Amino acid sequence: MAGSGTAHLRPRDEVLLQVENLYVEFPAGRGRTVRAVSGVSFDLAKGETLGIVGESGCGKSSTARALIQLPRPRAGSVRLDGLDLTSLRGEALRRVRRRLQMIFQDPISSLNPRRRVREIVEEGPKVWGRGALDVDEVLEAVGLDPATAAVRRPHEFSGGQCQRVSIARALVLEPEVVICDEPVSALDVSVQAQILALLEDLKERYRLTLVFIAHDLAVVKNVSDRILVMYLGKTCELAPSEDLIARPAHPYTKALLAAIPGSGLDLPPADRLISGEPPSPVDPPSGCRFRTRCPRAAERCAREEPEIRPVNGGDHYVACHFPDL
Amino acid sequence: MRRRFGAGFWIATAWISLVVAAAALADLLPIPGYDETLVGPPRSGPSAEHPFGTDGLGRDVFSRVVHGARVSLGVGIGAVVLGLGLGAPLGVLAGYRKGFADAVIMAVNDIALAFPSLVFALAVVAFAGASLRNVLIVLGVLGIPAWVRLIRGATLSFAEREFVLAARVLGVRDRRILWRDIMPNVAVPAASYAFIGMAVVIVAEGSLAFLGLSVQAPTPTWGGLINEGRTLMETAPHVVLAPSIVMFLTVLSFNLVGDRLRALTDVRQSGLEPARQSAPLPAGPGAEPVTGALLQVDDLRTHIHTPRGTVKAVDGVSFTLERGRTLAIVGESGSGKSMLIRTILGLLPAADVSRGGHVRLEGDDLTRFTPEEMRQVLGRRLGTVFQDPMTALNPVRTIGTQVTEPLRVHLGMSRKRAREEAARLLASVGIPDPARTLGRYPHQLSGGMRQRVTIAMALSCGPDVLFADEPTTALDVTIQDQVLRLIHRLREERDMAVVLVSHDLSVVRQWADEVIVMYAGKVVEHGPAEQVFARPRMPYTEALLQAAPRLTDPSHHRLRVIPGRPPDLADVPPGCPFRPRCAYAQDRCGAEAPPLTGDHDHLYACWHPTGSAVAGAPEGAESHGR
Amino acid sequence: MILVVHRLVRLVVVLLVVTFLSYGLLNLLPGDPVTQILGISATEEARAQLRADMGLDQPLMVRYADWLSGLLSGDWGTSYISRVPVADELAERLPVTLELLVAAQLVALGLAIPVGVAAARRAGGALDQALTAMSFALLSTPVFVLGVLLILIFAVTWQVVPATGWTPISVDLGWNLTSVLLPAITLGCGQLAVYARLLRADLIATLQEDYITLARARGLSPRRILWRHALRPSAISLITAVGLNLGALIGGTVIIETLFGLPGIGRLIVDSIFSRDYLTVQGGVVLISVGYVLVNFLVDVVYAAVDPRIRRA
Ligand SMILES: Nc1ncnc2c1ncn2[C@@H]1O[C@H](COP(=O)(O)OP(=O)(O)OP(=O)(O)O)[C@@H](O)[C@H]1O
Ligand code: SF4
Ligand code: SF4
Ligand SMILES: [Mg+2]
Repeated sequence: MAGSGTAHLRPRDEVLLQVENLYVEFPAGRGRTVRAVSGVSFDLAKGETLGIVGESGCGKSSTARALIQLPRPRAGSVRLDGLDLTSLRGEALRRVRRRLQMIFQDPISSLNPRRRVREIVEEGPKVWGRGALDVDEVLEAVGLDPATAAVRRPHEFSGGQCQRVSIARALVLEPEVVICDEPVSALDVSVQAQILALLEDLKERYRLTLVFIAHDLAVVKNVSDRILVMYLGKTCELAPSEDLIARPAHPYTKALLAAIPGSGLDLPPADRLISGEPPSPVDPPSGCRFRTRCPRAAERCAREEPEIRPVNGGDHYVACHFPDL
Repeated sequence: MRRRFGAGFWIATAWISLVVAAAALADLLPIPGYDETLVGPPRSGPSAEHPFGTDGLGRDVFSRVVHGARVSLGVGIGAVVLGLGLGAPLGVLAGYRKGFADAVIMAVNDIALAFPSLVFALAVVAFAGASLRNVLIVLGVLGIPAWVRLIRGATLSFAEREFVLAARVLGVRDRRILWRDIMPNVAVPAASYAFIGMAVVIVAEGSLAFLGLSVQAPTPTWGGLINEGRTLMETAPHVVLAPSIVMFLTVLSFNLVGDRLRALTDVRQSGLEPARQSAPLPAGPGAEPVTGALLQVDDLRTHIHTPRGTVKAVDGVSFTLERGRTLAIVGESGSGKSMLIRTILGLLPAADVSRGGHVRLEGDDLTRFTPEEMRQVLGRRLGTVFQDPMTALNPVRTIGTQVTEPLRVHLGMSRKRAREEAARLLASVGIPDPARTLGRYPHQLSGGMRQRVTIAMALSCGPDVLFADEPTTALDVTIQDQVLRLIHRLREERDMAVVLVSHDLSVVRQWADEVIVMYAGKVVEHGPAEQVFARPRMPYTEALLQAAPRLTDPSHHRLRVIPGRPPDLADVPPGCPFRPRCAYAQDRCGAEAPPLTGDHDHLYACWHPTGSAVAGAPEGAESHGR
Repeated sequence: MILVVHRLVRLVVVLLVVTFLSYGLLNLLPGDPVTQILGISATEEARAQLRADMGLDQPLMVRYADWLSGLLSGDWGTSYISRVPVADELAERLPVTLELLVAAQLVALGLAIPVGVAAARRAGGALDQALTAMSFALLSTPVFVLGVLLILIFAVTWQVVPATGWTPISVDLGWNLTSVLLPAITLGCGQLAVYARLLRADLIATLQEDYITLARARGLSPRRILWRHALRPSAISLITAVGLNLGALIGGTVIIETLFGLPGIGRLIVDSIFSRDYLTVQGGVVLISVGYVLVNFLVDVVYAAVDPRIRRA
């Protein structure tokens, strides 16, 4: 969008996770506010993978953290199987945490340097007692040798291996939803392929539902069933992966695709689809937040925020006054 | 770990243990009592019987120093334990809880710091008496504010790390997070500070004693002994020297141990210039200079000598480059791309590096240049842009000072002319409002703008070759597109050559004329971009191309997985470095390293090159944007 | 503006709390000024009379409030012992301490900056190792040992400077400088070691930044890079340390003052505590806490001057 609305949400009883009108804000000093996420909604059916893409600072990570209530969003609801996490406090919230796990971008800093790898993975089961998967089995599943893991510390592993540890740590609790915040951005191509393949395998094996965040559209397309495009804290477009890439309806999605070098798509050069730089989230533009860079922007775009609506029939949604149909 | 402490640490530890043991066992040692007078002739020098001599009353100085150690060490260790014991929990609480608890603790702390410590110390000692216990308590309490600050700082730096967040996501309770995730990390810096703190307290106790305000006579203390000895300075210097030297050594030892422990937490080495110059690697036969080539790199090698062994970061790289062309260097992290650029520019990291081979710029061998001559080439004829625009600009200097600097230093422009030229340069890289930008600081610009500024700086003296090391890796795709377009346009306008380093195959595919693929410090494939991408011959290149997801592939498309990971550059297996991961490997691959050969200008290092064409991107994708 | 108001509020709070605490603390001390003035043999009536005259028979809170209101109206009280107004006494002593502090910082910084830069230029080299060893030795020499040593060498053996004593600037500048020289060197040397080590460590870190490598890639000379590019971004820890030292040393230079016979604030406070001269001590406490807050404020100003990222609005 840069727009809002909930037209794209499916009935609550068909989905596992439903996020409605999420707002995340941070104080920016001198009484100002960073509007990191402003009214984002989406849902996930069981076993589905939702990809979230957007440029840095568009609120992807803030969305991910709001899902796990760290920190709690300013407004909006996050329903896991009908249970609204934003209404939970203290022990009740702690108890649902195991159902919702997260994998972070930086494989090194998300592991405590002073603990052995096996201890890191065991932490969850230790805290939760029974009901967790066998640690060794999970270590094997992510391609780590349990014997080595018992004696080594994170810095003795490569970035890719550390990311496997993170994945094992999340999986061992048998979560229903796993949120992956840029899990492969810090990795090399060959390692990235390994981790992506691993995630696909694990998803099948443990019947996971994934939120997969990345800035690289090609990566997101590879793993996702549906893709959500964000810009400056708002939703632009939500569509099944193939559809989104083949028929981008939002001007921003098109620009994003055109900017990918050697994409092989038939699009005009990116400099004709987007100009300038993203504005500050402290003081976002009125109306459609993309209008300062949009080649199609018209007077209406400044005045009125576009509502999200279905296009192209089926389940392709876009928030733009003048989408490309 | 042992190796990292060094001998000094162990000697210091031994000395501390010795002094501690002597102090603890002082009463059991076969030495005279500390206040027994006339155990020897007064003011006699060191002898077998009285190793430190005797003082004015004929007391054994050695015994007095040993007993004095009880006070010094007792207070030193005790006060730190007390201060840390009370300060650490408060510091951890303030750093981990933040918010209200932090504000309150820090406000109280601030006031405590403003309270004159001397008044406090004197008042307490005067009120409660100058016993060992009281001095210990005073010095311990006085240390608390400093401990709170230090521990809070250390806690903050860890509490913000993602592993703490990860623990909370797991549902771990705060108390467990504190004990398991924060404390062990804070412990190392705290231990280091503790030793340094002991040194400080020992000196502080000495100062009090020197003023006559510590433990009172007849109990000897080091500071008191030094004060007493002052009067005998001319007749019996050993009386003042012995306690001074022992005290100095002890304080030194605590400082040393603390310092070494701190080195555990941050390992920083090297400076601006190498401390030791390593011998150059033997030069190869050296290819004849190619006439007409702008830049000719010939068998370049960079070997870094580390404790783990010799890391062959760049191992025999050769290429030539002409004006108006872009050469891309691709490879995964650690393959030696950045090191190659730094070697060409003569900007090797400090110590323990040997370099071999030749770099010719229009025929002149840069490897033979003196640092002074090299500085004439750098910036003037060779321009450089680095990966992270956040760190590529000096945060404390304005854009103006930074962009004008090469103009003034190399081209000798006046301040005014340099500013005009700088504004023109900024405009040419697409910065809106250049005149105002000159007066701003880097943190006031976005990443894309900063990268434009570094490009403007690299181009300011009109270089012949622009080295761009991952110029867009830290930028968003839409900004990346703008920056790469800019570099391309400037190359055309200025008839430069560009060396573009990237790990991103699609960037290279779109913008390079020629490609070098590096693996484990070696060139494994080299040729025209279209050929390398359409028809890779080296299995590694092929696997890399298939491992990268592409938009044209369907969702959930199975990517090619290259098993394993690149070899440790300190321990590259014999033969072909890719062999452990190669699907086509055969016996010969492990025995003999494949040479870089091929047909025409497409070279590859493989015994069993692949012949298959990989489905490349449709032709349309490559042309637009050029 | 907000910053200044904030600072002022803080200054007031710190002053109130600190002076009240010290007032209470001093009153806990056994013995009182009356005994000091009249001697132990005085009669109980005489003591009671004097106590009443001096207002010492009032409750603690009342006396503190009195003192505080006096302070606000510019009356710092009169010393019980010397009968000189506290403000005059402090005004006479303060310049000595300040001159000593400034001179010591000049010595310390004047040497620490070149030493730190030289050591960082070739980290791990022979010069660096020698300088590191030297600063460790300095760091581990207690100030009273160093002072004794320096007096022995320069004042006793060579007799180039006076061992003790003080000549105010107003009397003779030359003599003033010779009398501050040795104390300043003694005090500065210990700090020199700390400063040089801090600067060296930060410089080494800065020299690994990309912007330094890029400055080299632009063909700038090592000297220019060190002094113009690297020094300023590496100065934050050094500034912090100077600030902490200055804050701690106002009134904390008593060892030096004792050793060299300087009439400074530190000595005054120590003597006043012993003679239970509360009002003088309180005056000193005010000076010290104001000084501490001022130094902190200055440090923040310097931070902002050195690093534009810290500047606000
Ligand atoms: N703790 C915080 N305090 C203040 N501002 C924040 C904080 N975290 C994020 N922001 C701001 O919120 C906005 C959205 O940030 P977020 O990290 O969610 O973006 P992102 O899409 O994940 O970016 P990236 O691709 O760089 O990871 C940005 O402007 C960011 O600077
Ligand atoms: S056309 Fe208008 S509504 Fe649509 S993206 Fe552009 S500015 Fe926004
Ligand atoms: S030489 Fe052998 S191991 Fe190396 S890439 Fe070729 S086939 Fe594979
Ligand atoms: Mg993010």
